[in-house]
Amino acid sequence: MGDLTKVTVDFETSHLVFPTIIACVLTLLGIVIVIRDRRRIAASGTYWAEVLGKMDKVRFFGTIALTLVYFSLMVPVGNIWPNTGMGFLLCSIPFVFLSGVLFLHDRDIRSILTIGVVAVVSPTLVWWLFTDLFFLTLP
Amino acid sequence: MEFLAFITPLFLSLVVAGTLVGIVFGAIPGMTATMAVAVCLPLTYPLGLENGLALLLGLYVGGISGGLVPAILLNIPGTPSSITTTFDGYPMTQRGEGERALKIGIVSSLVGGLVSLGILFLFAPVLADFAIRFSYVEKFLIILFALSVMGALSNNMLIGVFSGFLGIFISLIGTYDISDGGNGKHRLIPPGLEYWLESGFSLLPVLIALFGLTAILYEAEIGIPRGLSRDQVKIGDSSRFSFSVFRGQIVNLIRSSGIGTFVGILPGVGGSAASILSYTSAKTFSKHPERFGKGEPAGIIASESGNNGLTGGALVPLLSLGIPGDSTTALLIGAFTLQGIQVGPLFIGNNPDTWNAMIFAMMIANVAMFVMMFFAIRYVALIVTVPKHILFPVILMMCVIGAYTINYGIMFDVWTLAIFGLFGWIALHMRIEIAPFIIGFILGPSAEVYFVKSIESFGDLSVFVTKSWIAVVLWVLIIGSIAMSALISRMARDSRESLAAGASDPV
Repeated sequence: MGDLTKVTVDFETSHLVFPTIIACVLTLLGIVIVIRDRRRIAASGTYWAEVLGKMDKVRFFGTIALTLVYFSLMVPVGNIWPNTGMGFLLCSIPFVFLSGVLFLHDRDIRSILTIGVVAVVSPTLVWWLFTDLFFLTLP
Repeated sequence: MEFLAFITPLFLSLVVAGTLVGIVFGAIPGMTATMAVAVCLPLTYPLGLENGLALLLGLYVGGISGGLVPAILLNIPGTPSSITTTFDGYPMTQRGEGERALKIGIVSSLVGGLVSLGILFLFAPVLADFAIRFSYVEKFLIILFALSVMGALSNNMLIGVFSGFLGIFISLIGTYDISDGGNGKHRLIPPGLEYWLESGFSLLPVLIALFGLTAILYEAEIGIPRGLSRDQVKIGDSSRFSFSVFRGQIVNLIRSSGIGTFVGILPGVGGSAASILSYTSAKTFSKHPERFGKGEPAGIIASESGNNGLTGGALVPLLSLGIPGDSTTALLIGAFTLQGIQVGPLFIGNNPDTWNAMIFAMMIANVAMFVMMFFAIRYVALIVTVPKHILFPVILMMCVIGAYTINYGIMFDVWTLAIFGLFGWIALHMRIEIAPFIIGFILGPSAEVYFVKSIESFGDLSVFVTKSWIAVVLWVLIIGSIAMSALISRMARDSRESLAAGASDPV
């Protein structure tokens, strides 16, 4: 094959060799896909508008919002009682309850009570399992 | 019997419990075997490798099998791999033969699972023995081969390949690790995130996000479909099951199990391809192809033995080459990594106990699945009525536990969960394929080391062709796979279209 295929890799920059190649391949594939699917890509605005129009906005964005609040509160709450996993336990109970109510369709007292019981029992069980039995750290 | 020392009451109960939970996940539409494994992974941390695998393999087998219940009773596939079960299962239910259809499916699942387990047991050690001789050059080509196969067999070849490379790209974020022979420098890290992304995104939070959070976000988008009431589940009283239905179906059973196993061996190809291909071939070879789609037991037999054939097949490349056969086995890689064990050609030889334990666990899981589902099918059928508004919040909580405890308490892993959960939802709508993405993400770092080290030591690109005859064979396989699998995917697409047309046919 001669000298054409000869390459040397400088160790100092060897961390960039593979990422560069992959980036080139991705760009190339991306260009081909854009050319081939140009009509569909042009119509993607309408597609997303349709997705947003059809979606159950309360449940979808509610899930995202609840999840983000849940994640954000866990550490600050946990820092009040360090190394007890209380942050996880105290945040999970309202999270499980609220998202359960959010997902529920017919919000009658009986179903909400069931969710309430699950929301207290399951995080407590998991918390006990992980901290007391498995000795794993929870926030 | 020292080699059976791993069989303890705990081991057995974990397999059985895993299978039961797996059946529940499989039977509820919108929840999959992969999700079951993702959610239960954190439970395996303190269990040790054999016991942890016992639980996960039970979940895998149960999850794939449970999908037949809603497929047959409600015309809704519980997992993607039971799509073709609906074609003949639901018409049978409409005729009042629900129980008979379910039992045909359960027996076929058992046969599919056991045949593929046999192939796994015989084939994986042989392949591993062969792969031990591979140098970095061949290992790189094997990964390239895996990528080419999974790209070509995804719904859309270009986008499949793109998804795979995107996975590789994202896996390279972080440090070029010194322990792999790298220079320890950072790359691809967005400014300001060096502290968090020094070792890149952790594998398990990414997997848990893509198979737990993404699925729940998708369900939330469509408004968390209501659970079904008990009145809607009609299992039928008049149907009597007898094993005579399998007379003349032995060939179909074996062929479908074989197809399922083979599809499982191909990396990145999901269960739906396995059942679609077995269903199509059963229809092609049948003396009465016109009966398919109208409640023909042979259709259920093909579909269910095909998708359970996956379970053993997908473990072949995982245990012999370190390449996961599907997304569920990709999660199993995580379980191995947690216990500090590298899967690859040396795995079986170095860990004979674990290997025996896995085979044994799969066997027990298949038998447990059969016993639980066959004799308690009337109760199992009620699983489809379990309300999601109770399950999903608990699953989300388990995802958080899984992500947080994976590296012993790193909050960034929980944020990784959020980032990739959202990414997965967007990817779903952009038709980026998750299975190739995941396999690219898992194999990316090894591909880099094999590639860069090969060039560093040979200084010549032609080494990828001239290194050995194995390299040449691998190139032939890569090129052949692109050609062949393009053909297969076209066939699968055509038959899927004709099946869809046939299924919607009112006649």
